[in-house]
Amino acid sequence: MNSSFSERSSGNFQERLQQGFADLPFGPKTLMLGAGALIAYGVSRRSKAGTAIAGVGGVLAYGAMRQMSQEPREVKATFLVNASPEQCYSIWRNFQSLPKFMAHLKEVRELGGNQSEWVALGPMQREVCWTAETREDEPGRRISWASLPDSDIETSGRVDFRPDPQGRGTFVTAEVQYSAPGGPLGVAFATMMGKHPEFMVHEDLRRFKALVECGEVPTTAGQTHGPRGMHGHAGQVLFRETNNQLEPQAGDELRMSA
Amino acid sequence: MKALCWMGKEKLEVHDVPDPTILNPRDAIVRITTTCICGSDLHLYDGYVPTLEQGDILGHEFMGEVVEVGSGVDPNKLKVGDRVVVPFTIACGSCQFCQDELWSCCDNSNPNAWVAEKIMGYSPSGLFGYTHMLGGYSGGQAQYARVPFADVGPLKIPDGIPDEKVIFLSDIFPTGYMGAENCNIRPGDTVAVWGCGPVGQFAIRSCFMLGAGRVIAIDRVRERLDMARAAGAETLNFDEADVLDALHEMTGGRGPDSCMDVVGMEASGHGALYAMDRAKQMTRMQMDRPIVLRQAIMACRKGGSVSVPGVYAGFIDKVPMGAFVNKGLTMKSGQTHMMRYMKPLLERVQAGEIDPSFVISHTLPLDAAPEAYRMFRDKQDQCTKVVLKPWDQMAA
Repeated sequence: MNSSFSERSSGNFQERLQQGFADLPFGPKTLMLGAGALIAYGVSRRSKAGTAIAGVGGVLAYGAMRQMSQEPREVKATFLVNASPEQCYSIWRNFQSLPKFMAHLKEVRELGGNQSEWVALGPMQREVCWTAETREDEPGRRISWASLPDSDIETSGRVDFRPDPQGRGTFVTAEVQYSAPGGPLGVAFATMMGKHPEFMVHEDLRRFKALVECGEVPTTAGQTHGPRGMHGHAGQVLFRETNNQLEPQAGDELRMSA
Repeated sequence: MKALCWMGKEKLEVHDVPDPTILNPRDAIVRITTTCICGSDLHLYDGYVPTLEQGDILGHEFMGEVVEVGSGVDPNKLKVGDRVVVPFTIACGSCQFCQDELWSCCDNSNPNAWVAEKIMGYSPSGLFGYTHMLGGYSGGQAQYARVPFADVGPLKIPDGIPDEKVIFLSDIFPTGYMGAENCNIRPGDTVAVWGCGPVGQFAIRSCFMLGAGRVIAIDRVRERLDMARAAGAETLNFDEADVLDALHEMTGGRGPDSCMDVVGMEASGHGALYAMDRAKQMTRMQMDRPIVLRQAIMACRKGGSVSVPGVYAGFIDKVPMGAFVNKGLTMKSGQTHMMRYMKPLLERVQAGEIDPSFVISHTLPLDAAPEAYRMFRDKQDQCTKVVLKPWDQMAA
């Protein structure tokens, strides 16, 4: 987005159009509203001129959407965890164990140095990968990270551990910035699949709290039940039990049977 | 194993389902020897509480033998072979709320906490065999059950005491007791108790244990009023008298010191307001029928206490808040903080102070559960409490 003038003039039409939209004195949401009005007006005229007006509206809407998809988004969540900042930090800092509370994360591998490779599951269980670089790592206080350029998504974040002045635990705050793949439509789709980023960050932090406080994260995934039928399956999706609950955490090798 | 499944409103079926397995390290599996139907199960049966799913295994009052434990359970706390009563609330034991002994407010045991937060602001603990907003854990009207955080909840029962004397430590005895405790009883106080079902019966007896001088029990089912009278309560049939007038009269115009609503969302009553509540509940404009709660607030003496062990699910209309404020009342409620009460109440049972089995009217095999629900709901055959035996066969 910070392209120099020479790059801009040598780019193709699409890039130049994009830059033109970015230079407008109002934001993409206003632009989208205006575009919607033009389309509605154009279609309602039912004439050749109307079609042209609606067409212009369409181009504007496309530009606004492109721009919105590039706008970084930020989500934030805070939980008061009944443990010390050091305990919280040490559990979070063990990156390979992050999937123990981040339900949508499949795997994290430490690559050495300050880099790690992350694999998440997006909507429809599609794998999304990125390499992250640890930017700040202050034991008992803060960890921050950012994705490197060759990643599927652009994301960065940080988690702060702040002791409660009244001694009732630690305020754990996670802040994540990302530019969503697929733009606003992508986010709408992800929301439908129970994977809205704000919901995910909030729920991940809730699970982190459970893991720190009781050593495991509650789940009913895989419990026995009667025939679900249409009503039962719909409920499972509606209450996000299919994708917002962790897999059981007691492996077979851990079990002590009668 | 056999399990009672909720398949829709007023539609229960006993199905063969897979045996439960250990899912988390702190789980245990209990082979159930005795389980019961609770009044709050009837709200599910009648379809008034949202977020149930077809195929859910009901039941939150059960006891049995531990047959399997996860690797995270301290063997000093629980081991295979232990005989236990399982409390209906699930608590982690290590969050702020558990440490403050607000066990039913556990922060970590509900995996669907976000659903409860939409309706209540914050989520209470997970429950067995109840709605998915409260966790959706498979329940205990079955031959086996998975018990999460098994090192916190289950109470070990020594051999020699029959199931029938201790099974009600799983819910209704502690629930009645906490209801009485929330009445802030001083020696000699008069307590009015709406609802003489099983919890009401324990509430009445607990009021006397805590020093109440008089208990006025309100219901309309003859055998339940008889049972209340047997405990030393005076009784009031709301079909035969105006409750507010009668309480006014019986307390010399002062009103009961404490009023307890042991009825909750499916209360019965008379008059236009009752008809309107029914209509609104049927059309889903109001989740609960707060007839008893309104009466309790209106009847309570100035500066008195209103205790609400009855189950409410959502929002209610026309609560006399003006009366509540101007009379300076105190209200206390909550799902029962089970682990506070189970052990002390077991000691009372062991000491012979109370034999909780008095409340049982029917003992049936699990296969008879669907009919038993209907019988209990319709109060047929003098039904007060149904105990189910999951391993017994139906008589041919």
